[in-house]
Amino acid sequence: MSQRSAFRVDVLEGARIAVFSLKANRLRTVLTTLGIGIGVATLLAIVGIIQGLNTSFHKQLATFGANTMYVSKWPWMIKGDWWKYRNRKNFTLEQMHRLRTLAPFVTAMSPAVSRLSDVAHGGEQMSTVRIQGVTHEYLNISGYEITGGRFLTEADDATTRPVAVVGADVVDGLFPGVSPVGQSIRIDNRTFQVVGTLSRKGKMVGESMDLIVFIPFKTFYSSFGKGRSFEIAMAVEDASQMRSAEDQLTGIMRRVRSTPPGAEDDFSINRPEAMAQTYEQLTGALYGVAVGVGLITLLVGGIGIMNIMLVSVRERTREIGVRRALGARKRTIVFQFLMEASSVSAVGGLLGTTVGLGTAKVVSLITPLAADVQPMTVVAGVGFAALVGLLFGIWPAARAANLDPVEALRYE
Amino acid sequence: MSQASGAGPLIQVENITRVFHVGGEEVRALRGVSFGINRGEWVAIIGQSGSGKSTMMNVLGCLDTPSSGRYMLNGKDVSRMSDDELAVIRNVEIGFIFQTFQLLPKETALANVELPLVYRGIGARERRERAKAALDKVQLTHRMHHRPNELSGGQRQRVAIARALVSEPSMLLADEPTGNLDSATGEEIVRLFEQLHKAGHTLVLVTHEPKLAARCPRAIRLSDGEIVADGDGRTVAMGTATDVLNAGGA
Repeated sequence: MSQRSAFRVDVLEGARIAVFSLKANRLRTVLTTLGIGIGVATLLAIVGIIQGLNTSFHKQLATFGANTMYVSKWPWMIKGDWWKYRNRKNFTLEQMHRLRTLAPFVTAMSPAVSRLSDVAHGGEQMSTVRIQGVTHEYLNISGYEITGGRFLTEADDATTRPVAVVGADVVDGLFPGVSPVGQSIRIDNRTFQVVGTLSRKGKMVGESMDLIVFIPFKTFYSSFGKGRSFEIAMAVEDASQMRSAEDQLTGIMRRVRSTPPGAEDDFSINRPEAMAQTYEQLTGALYGVAVGVGLITLLVGGIGIMNIMLVSVRERTREIGVRRALGARKRTIVFQFLMEASSVSAVGGLLGTTVGLGTAKVVSLITPLAADVQPMTVVAGVGFAALVGLLFGIWPAARAANLDPVEALRYE
Repeated sequence: MSQASGAGPLIQVENITRVFHVGGEEVRALRGVSFGINRGEWVAIIGQSGSGKSTMMNVLGCLDTPSSGRYMLNGKDVSRMSDDELAVIRNVEIGFIFQTFQLLPKETALANVELPLVYRGIGARERRERAKAALDKVQLTHRMHHRPNELSGGQRQRVAIARALVSEPSMLLADEPTGNLDSATGEEIVRLFEQLHKAGHTLVLVTHEPKLAARCPRAIRLSDGEIVADGDGRTVAMGTATDVLNAGGA
């Protein structure tokens, strides 16, 4: 018999026996499959959800523009004691204007202040809409585009006009089938005239960026009170110089705010791009832990396979003896059991992949988390499961092959 | 049948020993056994339990290798072969017939008979044809799709004989082939052996039953791992009583 045909015998006969024995022990097969399946499902669901989270987060960050920065009282991602930020003094418009003159690399700048309000038009009403007070330059910072009418102007702000530019969700909610430009809306019972509509921007960390109404900054303060602190939003010339821009900005802000030398900054510079790094650190650790949990589940599944294979080898000791007597080589026996172990695992992997993907889909439907599973993940899931089966099948298979044929034939 | 190759005896055993180590103690199951078996011979190897006949059968069947000495089978020295090589020898040269039949319980009679051909790498269609032909030789084609548990003891042993015949081995090696059968069925199997012998097959039959050994043209008697008699089947088999008396009297 040639080497090639010997190998063919190993594979074909191994596969045939594997299927045969899996069919013969249906319940056992299903239970074993379940163990591996749960492992793969856990792993895939976690990976899918985290991948989805990452993809959507990066997509959303991209809409901010790589060259935007926000000087705020608060860092967007608070590390440590939040009350220390709370005691910082609010910015003033004078400070903002001085900042503007001292930082020539800033191409656009706007104050930004916001609150959540109810917005109504006719019989329709929407609640918890973000109302943001900004100036005309904000359009160039924010990444929105005008789809109808116009954005806010300098004159709107200077004369505190009650005008509003509305986001896509507000258009859909209050003006179904009607052009909103020229219509009036009520924000907390104050009347505003819609002068423009915005392009859709999607969700940011689960929050819609289109459930928004922009009004002139001064109008905001006169309508809703001056108690709220504002952020300073800006775009800088060169996206590749963000780091040095941030350093320069820190110096300038300290001068503007008259921060004593040696004292801590009493403001925070937020960069969406830097936020991504913080985010990645955070989710990276989470990712690691979650994948670890998934792997442990898979390990438990693998031990289940090994256990059942050892039982199978014991039960079939005589069969192994007969096969050896009739000319099966050790390798053929090893193959037989490896095929059996890896096919149970692969079936489990397939099952787990289906359940895992389903879970990820369901999660993305009922929660703001967007699950995203790459086709490669599916292949990897099934392949990985089969590999686990193979690994945990090696020892039982070796035990089977190393049985003494004489002893095996005598086994009761 | 692969009888074409080589002159001289099919089996040539020279001064074979087999020593087991059991719990630090040496058990010498075979102590220098030599004999030859020619093609077409029907030989019984007979002995009491503990005589070494099971060890002899394992060595002859290439399931075990001797501790020393030489075993030539069909012109090949099989006493120093590797495990894989021995597997091939078992597949090609030997047809096993066991006391407990050793059929795979979940496979049909046909699939059981096909098994040696599977390990020889023969394609499914040819396998099926040859297995059917082998079952025909033992008059069991009408039961070929039944599982062992649907067959009588005699039928099971006939399936096992078909399985031994299917690969056209140089010798059939039977271990107490009638041990698990009632006397009528046992007689049926012995008749089948007689037919196979007439058809030119080489048969080696390991047994402790003098009555069975007496049916063979030649018998070799083992005792304490050594050959104590080798000759006409009836003479060697019936010598039992005196041997036992001699042993008891000594």
